[in-house]
Amino acid sequence: MKPNAAALAQGLIRCHGCGHLSKPTRLSRKCRVCGNYLHARIPHSVQRTTALLSSSYALYIPANIFPIMTVMQLGVTEQHTILGGIMALIDKDMMPIAILVLVASILVPLLKLLGISLLLLNVHYRWQRNARLWTKLYRVIAFVGRWSMLDIFMISILVAVVDLGGVSKVIAGPASTAFAAVVVLTMFAAKSFDPRLIWDNQLE
Amino acid sequence: MKNIKLDACPECDLLLNQSSPEIGEKALCPRCGYLLYRPRKQSVERTLALSIAGFIIIFPANLLPLIGMKLLGNSHEGTLWSGVMGLFNEGMWAVAVLVLMSSILFPLTNIILSFLISAHLYFNKPNKYLGSWMRWLQHLDEWAMLEVYTLGIIVACVKLAADADLILGFGLYAFVALLVITAMLASSLDAYLFWKHIARLHEA
Repeated sequence: MKPNAAALAQGLIRCHGCGHLSKPTRLSRKCRVCGNYLHARIPHSVQRTTALLSSSYALYIPANIFPIMTVMQLGVTEQHTILGGIMALIDKDMMPIAILVLVASILVPLLKLLGISLLLLNVHYRWQRNARLWTKLYRVIAFVGRWSMLDIFMISILVAVVDLGGVSKVIAGPASTAFAAVVVLTMFAAKSFDPRLIWDNQLE
Repeated sequence: MKNIKLDACPECDLLLNQSSPEIGEKALCPRCGYLLYRPRKQSVERTLALSIAGFIIIFPANLLPLIGMKLLGNSHEGTLWSGVMGLFNEGMWAVAVLVLMSSILFPLTNIILSFLISAHLYFNKPNKYLGSWMRWLQHLDEWAMLEVYTLGIIVACVKLAADADLILGFGLYAFVALLVITAMLASSLDAYLFWKHIARLHEA
């Protein structure tokens, strides 16, 4: 047996649940250990990822245009977009926090949207170079995804804490739903992308 | 053909000879660099102990006030739950549900599932649901976002500290303890070993 070949080429499938390697027959398509259906690759991986990704692109626009929260303080109402909130932090001389929020709510979602698009292009056009690097990009995207929830959690805490009747109050804006949807959809998109497709296309 | 001696990399599908590293060592995929296996010391015992500890600490962390603010003689404190309710009352039900799931429900189910699985493995009791519990645990792991929530608390604190006096509630200490416990839980749970153990229990 050639050691350097894909398991699929040998007719072997790794169960995505428990990792058990088995040879499926016509009669049994289920994993012997955990009962999962066996799939050599994630079914319809590219289609699903593309669908989820285009929805995230569409929602990314309202997420950045509309206010993500409204702050009412002593009768003055201020509306903040994601970018506006970061600007306000810079104005108040809170650079480290501003950078943190910039990374979590602007750079990470952008990295995910563009990164997954590139991964899809890679699979579609069968790019031959740097497969290992592309796999790393996939791993970074999968790891970093959840951290964009930072802004949503921060708003949830502010809504809970800043509630002093007429003195001051924080209300979540319509962009928060759109932004949360972008985070969730890109997380699902990263999950539905199968990095093994990158390696299947390598001619060696 | 014997399948026992072979393994496939989950990210590039390279067919590999099964390796069994010692504790403290790790096995990486030679082609794509994926971390295949890193055995943990006393994985079952530690998971059991930590999940019990987590189950105790999750209640004060959720019910006691995390942070509060004082402004012009008024004071108000917020809990995890009041943030969710606040969002819900403002009509942001989708965001409220997302925050509820990722900061309260999924951490709780993760702890309960870890407890159920490790208890069954510790006492060597077979259960037909072990496989599906393990699968759920692996799926939900990514959606429990306590560490991101912690970062959200920090950012919210910095924002608030500029305009008002902060009160750090007892719930915050419990929350940090919960964060440490769930992080240790995630790193002590050795999925590879757990699946092996489950497979053995099934066959016995």
